[in-house]
Amino acid sequence: MEKQTEPSGVYEVFVQRDHLDPMMHVGSLLAPTNELALQLARENFTRREQILQIWVVPRTHIYSAEEDDFHAREMDRSYREVSGYTENGRLWRMFKEKEITLEEIVRYVEQKKQSKHDLHREESHES
Amino acid sequence: MDSQRLEEEFVKRVQSGAKIEASDWMPDGYRHLLIKLIHMHAVSEIMGVYPEKEWVPKAPNLRRKLALMAKVQDEMGHGQLLLRIVEDLAAPYGKGREELLDDLVEGKVKFHNVFHMEARTWADAGLIGWLIDGAAIINQASLLSTSYAPYARILKRICAEESFHMQHGENVILSIAMGTDEQRKMLQDSLDYWWYSLLFFFGPLEITPAAQKMLHYRIRTKTNEELRQKFLAKYVPRIWSLGLTIPDPTLHYDSKLERWHYAEPEWEVFQKIVSENKGPKSQERIALRRIAQDQHKWVRLAMTTGI
Amino acid sequence: MSHEMNSLAPELLTGQQRMILVDWLTQLADDEFIIGHRDSEWLGLCPTVEEDVAFSSIAQDEVGHAVFYYELIQELEGVSADDLAFQRLAHERKNSLLVERENGDWAYTIVRHYLYDLWDQIRLDAMVESRYVPLAHGAKKMKREEYYHLIHFQHWFARLTKCGGEARERMKNAMELVEQDLDDLLDMGLYETDLFSWGILTKSSEEMRSEFYSRYEELWRDMSDLSERKLIFSKQISKGRMGQHSPALASVLENMTEVIRFDPNAQW
Repeated sequence: MEKQTEPSGVYEVFVQRDHLDPMMHVGSLLAPTNELALQLARENFTRREQILQIWVVPRTHIYSAEEDDFHAREMDRSYREVSGYTENGRLWRMFKEKEITLEEIVRYVEQKKQSKHDLHREESHES
Repeated sequence: MDSQRLEEEFVKRVQSGAKIEASDWMPDGYRHLLIKLIHMHAVSEIMGVYPEKEWVPKAPNLRRKLALMAKVQDEMGHGQLLLRIVEDLAAPYGKGREELLDDLVEGKVKFHNVFHMEARTWADAGLIGWLIDGAAIINQASLLSTSYAPYARILKRICAEESFHMQHGENVILSIAMGTDEQRKMLQDSLDYWWYSLLFFFGPLEITPAAQKMLHYRIRTKTNEELRQKFLAKYVPRIWSLGLTIPDPTLHYDSKLERWHYAEPEWEVFQKIVSENKGPKSQERIALRRIAQDQHKWVRLAMTTGI
Repeated sequence: MSHEMNSLAPELLTGQQRMILVDWLTQLADDEFIIGHRDSEWLGLCPTVEEDVAFSSIAQDEVGHAVFYYELIQELEGVSADDLAFQRLAHERKNSLLVERENGDWAYTIVRHYLYDLWDQIRLDAMVESRYVPLAHGAKKMKREEYYHLIHFQHWFARLTKCGGEARERMKNAMELVEQDLDDLLDMGLYETDLFSWGILTKSSEEMRSEFYSRYEELWRDMSDLSERKLIFSKQISKGRMGQHSPALASVLENMTEVIRFDPNAQW
């Protein structure tokens, strides 16, 4: 009996560029097998760049939300955002201090230099 | 290649700044240290839920209630992210989620001293958000440069979420500090209660053999004392600016030595709290964890097996 | 007819209309606030770490919706949303008994929330075209957010009821417990006919309840060998909507106001 050709499947392609980066979706391709999908992805998506890792995932294995409402975030959520606490700077000034930001801590711990922006902020705070 | 050569090459790689992925070869010693460190980090996030969770029902207005819920949720979320890292590392030993969380209720994994303590007042809840989170952020920021890439990636995400925690903690404290005499008294009392726990949080002064190994493998790049100094430098001036008294009359910045001089916490007392789960709230909170872990086994069983 | 009427502006409400609208908003706000509060008690105790995070978002959404309703009352009555949430005594609260019950086990939590959300969806549907425009605006937004809650609890509910053994037993018990409070949940207070005739709601309370009960019967049918159920609404004389509550609510409020009572005039 003659073997029927299976149609090529769609594979979604993900690439990681740096150890500190997450996997990023870069596109999709058609391939008949997992192995070939991986090999084709290398040349179809990363022929111009140095990357760390590549994933191919059969689209049929991807389960995603069908309704827009699934992603609905309608009401005010500023209570859980940094932007909901902008008054801190003003309040600290009443105590002759300033708020701490995460960026400041990370830079300080890693002993990196302050950016000009921060220096400027400090000067304007002191004046 | 024999294992010693492999190990030497590995150390050379990490010391020159290379990052290690979960699928890379790694020495057993490296894997063990990572499991120990990240497992403790993960369960500390989870146990960190309880002192603040107790104040969610009592939060004094709608915005504070919502913010505290979101913050506690983030802690649990960080626990989840970190557990997944440990699960991948511990898979060769047949350890998964159930076993890693069983370790917690069976007292086989330690969690940070601060989460053994009681959150007695709203000011305590605020101080946890401000200073304990502050200390944790300094610790986590120092780990961003860890040699283990999956940990570094997750820490990046954790730190980003912590930036809301910092602002929230400051905001709660500022409100109390600007409040009535009674409120300010409550805040001072809170600082008195937490101060030495905070100092202990960064760990002992001496560099233990395990800590030395972590530095060797670039799992950590800073010592306990370096981080404690950074915490003092960032936070002591702010604590003072609020008009609070730190319960250590000897505390000062020594400009000659370029370091903060401080009275040391009673190391043995705090160590016992952590290693034997003998803090004021240790057992009560582990019992809460047991509700999730043991009393809900039937739920996990039903959902995964359908029986 | 109601949808053809002009919109109701806050400043043009009669005293009677305002009173009825505030009564309804209070029921909604208190329901959402108390169930959100109960949900938040699950923090750190959920069966899995992942669910703990997901459930907390639902808790926050419910409290967020309560904030919305309290702010509508604030506009009408001039009492702050915080005072409405924190300063009222138990007998001034209009939440249903169902939402104030203690959390119980995970089965009870799932069944209660699922049935509550089914009812909430029907309520929101009846408000998206409300003549009271601020309410219609909010209902549209909240309905979108509630979609996730509904499919989340639907999945939990379906999976746990289809199991055998302990899970199934617990789900059956939970269904029976929740059922006892359904009439109280579906009660819409003294003015339910006015809510419809003034177009605050675009569906009558009978229509809303029959919609709920037909979905409820479907649920029982879906649970394979669980016997069929037919419920008929029997209006209780007075319960949650009339400010009559169980001791569970009193202890929630006692706990909730601990910090405020420390100094009622302080800012926190």
